[in-house]
Amino acid sequence: MITLTNLGKVFRTELIETHALREVNLQVNEGEFAALTGPSGSGKSTLLNILGTLESFDSGDYQLDGKSVKGLPDAALSKLRNEKIGFIFQSFNLIKDFSIYDNIELPLRYRGLKAAERKQRIEQALELVGLHARRDYLPGQLSGGQQQRVAIARAIAGQPRILLADEPTGNLDSLMARQVMELLEQINRQGCTILMVTHDPDQARRAGRNIQIIDGQLHDSTMYDPLAQHTA
Amino acid sequence: MEQLFYYLKVSWFSIKRAPLPYMLTVLILSLGLGVFFSNATFYYRMNSDPLPDKSDKLFFPMLMLVPYQCSDCKPPPVLSYSNVAKLDVSTIPSAKAAMYSADGYLRQHAAQPPTPVTVRITQRDFFSMFDVPLLHGTIWADNQARDELLLSKATAEKILGRTDVVGQQLLLDDRLFTIIGVLDDWQMLPKLYDAYNRQYLNPVEDVYLPLESGYDYNYLSSTNSSTFDDADFRKLATDGRNKALHQLQYWVQLDTPAQQQAYRQFMANLVTDEKAAGRHPSAEANQLVMLRDIVRYFGGESADIKAFAIVTLLFLLVSVFNASHLSLNRYLSNQYEFSLRRALGANRSQLQMQLLVDMGLMSTFTLAGAAVIAYGCTKLMNSLWPANHLFAGWDVQLMLALAVLTLFCSYLVTLYPSLRASFGSLNKQLKE
Repeated sequence: MITLTNLGKVFRTELIETHALREVNLQVNEGEFAALTGPSGSGKSTLLNILGTLESFDSGDYQLDGKSVKGLPDAALSKLRNEKIGFIFQSFNLIKDFSIYDNIELPLRYRGLKAAERKQRIEQALELVGLHARRDYLPGQLSGGQQQRVAIARAIAGQPRILLADEPTGNLDSLMARQVMELLEQINRQGCTILMVTHDPDQARRAGRNIQIIDGQLHDSTMYDPLAQHTA
Repeated sequence: MEQLFYYLKVSWFSIKRAPLPYMLTVLILSLGLGVFFSNATFYYRMNSDPLPDKSDKLFFPMLMLVPYQCSDCKPPPVLSYSNVAKLDVSTIPSAKAAMYSADGYLRQHAAQPPTPVTVRITQRDFFSMFDVPLLHGTIWADNQARDELLLSKATAEKILGRTDVVGQQLLLDDRLFTIIGVLDDWQMLPKLYDAYNRQYLNPVEDVYLPLESGYDYNYLSSTNSSTFDDADFRKLATDGRNKALHQLQYWVQLDTPAQQQAYRQFMANLVTDEKAAGRHPSAEANQLVMLRDIVRYFGGESADIKAFAIVTLLFLLVSVFNASHLSLNRYLSNQYEFSLRRALGANRSQLQMQLLVDMGLMSTFTLAGAAVIAYGCTKLMNSLWPANHLFAGWDVQLMLALAVLTLFCSYLVTLYPSLRASFGSLNKQLKE
């Protein structure tokens, strides 16, 4: 589903040139739940942003569903983000003065769906994250864990095939983090491919696959036994 | 339509998030536009063409027919009665009228207190040449002296309480005149038939009297008269007709370039003949000035007004710059939201549409603010320069111009911020 071939990314300033990613080769299959781990500044988030087409790359190629995204115009990239990819951010990125319902509605609006279909999808997503009763609340009226569940609902409302999560539990306490992880696992079981940046080794173990990045290079890729994970 | 309401809702939330910078942006822009618009109104009115269909057909002839030697002189701006009589011989113009203005007192009967009025003393073609609308009655049958006058509508209402007064008699300076016509609402702005000495800023006259009657009854010019010999300007009926007493404005209608060329030649021949007859010593310096050029010819364009127009334009530019700066700060503080929307699938054209709605909303508030400020500025200008009040009126065309200008300025104010917001790095704001 995702194929990266010799992918490279360089950040340049007037004085220095930083190779954020070097010669990255990666294959992610449909339905996988992969964790991206590595030290701070190793290039995890950069890789996730490139996968989400939020950032461009300088060399190599990135193919999504067998098609290269290189050189796609803004409208095509926007459509791709809207229809195939869901984002979950560490700081939730909810619009504070929009209700929960309106926040979840955002990607559906830009897809041009009719109001009735939007409503149906939002309600399904709210049911899944268990926040149906709070649809008219503002984000500030919810706990951190609930806000992240809203962000997950927003990400899945568009029924994307890939979820990209950048430290989704980074701002949560352990109980809430566990709830969010369970939710992600549930979504993954329904067939959605998930790539998640995390610093937490336990969460990395719970994912089906751990992709380590060190100094911009794919260092190791470990396949955990999902059965062992669940029994543990 | 639903999407439009959604964009409006997003704009409204964005305003509510930081109302003070938004209000400041709108206020600065309104101030710049309001001040500019009030001045532009005045400038526009002063420079507008009151007779667009005729302004290139009506001409003001001036002859260098004066009894003194002058090599670099312009001809006098007014003609003597005898000059006009010589010009009147020509059959080239399709219409022609001599005229001057005077002051008088009007009343219905001797027991009524007199009302001061302005009087245009003129000839019958005046009304057709300057498209003067007639509400009741008619104009004079010819250019002979007669005790008949026409009233403006406002004067008829003021003196007689109604407009249908044809046939009634009035006392003008204690002489009995019969009303033969009442004009409809009419305000020639600027009053170009009387452009010398910035008289074009004044309203049109209240009463219209035949030229010959004006001379017979010694109505002195209230604006400009010059004598070049021993003429006594108080003896209009005699010296005014026979000597070099210059006080008449003279307008001719020349519809085609051929007519205009022929009339120029006629004027040149006239001056040459007069010189040959020993009636003046000067070189030919005739002028035939088009109606639309008359203010410029007489130097009536005020440098102060031009300078003020430039200052207010600069003020508008500074306001746009400041508002743009404020707007940029507001957009930068909201840029994370733009990035989020793009991350969730909004393309640039959808964001631009949102920004256009933002602009539309800002234009609406700014237009209201600018109209209020412009109204206040206009009132202030009218109180400081009451003579200019005629040029402060707004009409649909001017209001539309203000709306278009507001839209344009609002677009400028939001253009750069919107480009920054649309093309900024996506991942940076989302990570913060």
